[in-house]
Amino acid sequence: MNQILKILSKVLLASLMLTIVVGGTTSCNSKKKLAKERAEAHAAEVNRAKRDLNNIINGETTWTLDQQAERVAAIKAKNWGNADVDDLVEQAEETISKKRAEAERLAEEERLKREEEARLRANQSEFAVIDNQLASIADATSVDEANMLINTALNQYATPDIPVLIIISQAGGFNDYDRPTTISKFLNYLKDKKQYKYKVESVKRDNMGKITEMELIVK
Amino acid sequence: MKKLSYLLIFVIGLGFTGFAQDDLSPERKQAVDSLAMEKVRDLSKYISIIGSKETPWSEANRVIDRAEELFMQGSEIGVSSLVRPEVSYYGVRKYLERLMRLNYSKVEISWYNIEYVSDLQKQPDGTYVGVITIFQKFKGYDKEGKLIYQDTTKKDITVYVKRKETQIGGRLIGFWDVLLGDIRVKETSK
Amino acid sequence: MFKIKKIILGFALLLTGFFAQSQSGSFNTMGDDETVLYRMNKQVGQFVKRFNLEEDPFGKTLPVTDKKYHNNKLRKKMLPGLFDEYNPRTSGELRKFFIDDVTSSKNPVFLNFHDKNWYAELSVTFLAGGDEVNIILYLTLEDENLGSKWVISNVYYSYFPSLFPKIDTNQSKNRFLHPQSHELDFMNLHKALEDPAHIEYYASGSYQPDFLTLFFYQMKTGQLKFKEINTVKFHFFQIPNWYFELSWFNRNENNSGWLISNLKYIDEKQKSELIKAYKLCASGK
Repeated sequence: MNQILKILSKVLLASLMLTIVVGGTTSCNSKKKLAKERAEAHAAEVNRAKRDLNNIINGETTWTLDQQAERVAAIKAKNWGNADVDDLVEQAEETISKKRAEAERLAEEERLKREEEARLRANQSEFAVIDNQLASIADATSVDEANMLINTALNQYATPDIPVLIIISQAGGFNDYDRPTTISKFLNYLKDKKQYKYKVESVKRDNMGKITEMELIVK
Repeated sequence: MKKLSYLLIFVIGLGFTGFAQDDLSPERKQAVDSLAMEKVRDLSKYISIIGSKETPWSEANRVIDRAEELFMQGSEIGVSSLVRPEVSYYGVRKYLERLMRLNYSKVEISWYNIEYVSDLQKQPDGTYVGVITIFQKFKGYDKEGKLIYQDTTKKDITVYVKRKETQIGGRLIGFWDVLLGDIRVKETSK
Repeated sequence: MFKIKKIILGFALLLTGFFAQSQSGSFNTMGDDETVLYRMNKQVGQFVKRFNLEEDPFGKTLPVTDKKYHNNKLRKKMLPGLFDEYNPRTSGELRKFFIDDVTSSKNPVFLNFHDKNWYAELSVTFLAGGDEVNIILYLTLEDENLGSKWVISNVYYSYFPSLFPKIDTNQSKNRFLHPQSHELDFMNLHKALEDPAHIEYYASGSYQPDFLTLFFYQMKTGQLKFKEINTVKFHFFQIPNWYFELSWFNRNENNSGWLISNLKYIDEKQKSELIKAYKLCASGK
């Protein structure tokens, strides 16, 4: 019996040891695997971060600027201490701030353009009235009619001598003018030429709303 | 000889006339040419108004003033005809007043749709000078409406073009001052 | 092949287009045929531009990039129209040779306003002591400051050469101041001064009278008074081996305006003699 017990205890011990040994090795293996998996995941994350950052830097992303900024902030928050990533984060931040600045300016430019167009449209309807009046003098069927129209028209100008500038060309981005004339001479010119082939380009008015300077462009 | 011809072509290549020397873009040159042509059309229109018997006397006088403003001071009109080949010289005002007083009951002045614009060449003071050629048909009728005189004349009109600047409302305006000069009026063959 | 056909077609169209113009023309539809006025070389400048093929039939300047610009084949076709049709010298074989030369594909020749060797010749009537006299004035273009101007380069007045007849060797035999005259206080000079008809015999062998100065002198002293200009024509010397003259033809037909009125095939030496006569007093040329 004792013999059996001895053997049994030995077996038990052995099996226990085996269990310990075997069990010990088994737990060590799973830890290594885990560590490896983690490292791989980190590398992938870093790579993803790098790819995203590069895309942001090179303008190859479809994200909005806010989304880009969020992504960069998220990467930055990870604080990996990876020199490459830190460098890219810096570049991406710079790119985003540049783009933000550009977008702001473009938006302002766009806003101003819209405003100007609106003003121009308003002006055009204002100018169209002047254009029509000038054309009617040229189209008058008699000298008397033309003279009457001239007298009416002159009421809208501060004096009969206000300058009238005629743009003959805008080539090369600047205005070439004909010799400046006065409104009264110009109105009589229209009467004589019986032809109005201009368009009002700009007018200046005084406090009373009377025109003090007018710019026309040859059509 | 070959060398000479090459040289000739080379010189021609370099010396392309008129505005080309001043780097004025073709568009701007075109605009200046058109402006010069417009002044000639203005004159044609004024001549038609002054010559017309339907124009009231006061209007004709006003138009003579305007026509005179188109010209450089001291410009002359040199006129010759087939029967009088020698050139008679008139001051601009005298020429236009003579036109106003012509002794016909009715006058028809019309312009051919042919205008020839020369290159603009620089004279020593830098002013550009060109010549625009136009053709006019004149018909004079008597009281009975019978055509008693007609001619076709070629008018070679000197045009001076100078770049000038002026201040308007505190702004510096660069403009092309176009003035007409002497005119040679020659009757063309019938 | 197609390309060639296309080119030929284009060429034919160009030709028919050239000088064919609308007859609708005038402001007041006068019903007149304006072809004559289109075809007329209305200005000397237009003659030059047509000679070079630098403008379209309507007088519009061709851009340098235009296929027609300086096109020698087209020039060959249209150059005959720039000659006086009624002068055998300017309407026959010589004209053909001239055109061949100026449109040669190797050395085509073009004219330019700023060329040096062209001159204006004016026939002018003056009054000399109440009598009408005809004097020829030669003018040439000269650069000055920012631009250029026409200057009087020479004058021909038959009276002037008659004052200076060719030196007669017989007569010149005794007409000189001997080399020791200075020792006698030039007491022999009075013979020269009392015989003005031969006074030039006492000048240097290389002495040449300057007629332009004589002309100015007579104008300044009132011996000559301007009456009127009769005719104007031009002499062109810039084409190697050729000389031509340009005159105004006031005709109611297509061959009118400034046309070549004389044409000569001359060697360059002969030409330089002629030029000398025209530009005698022009400076810097």
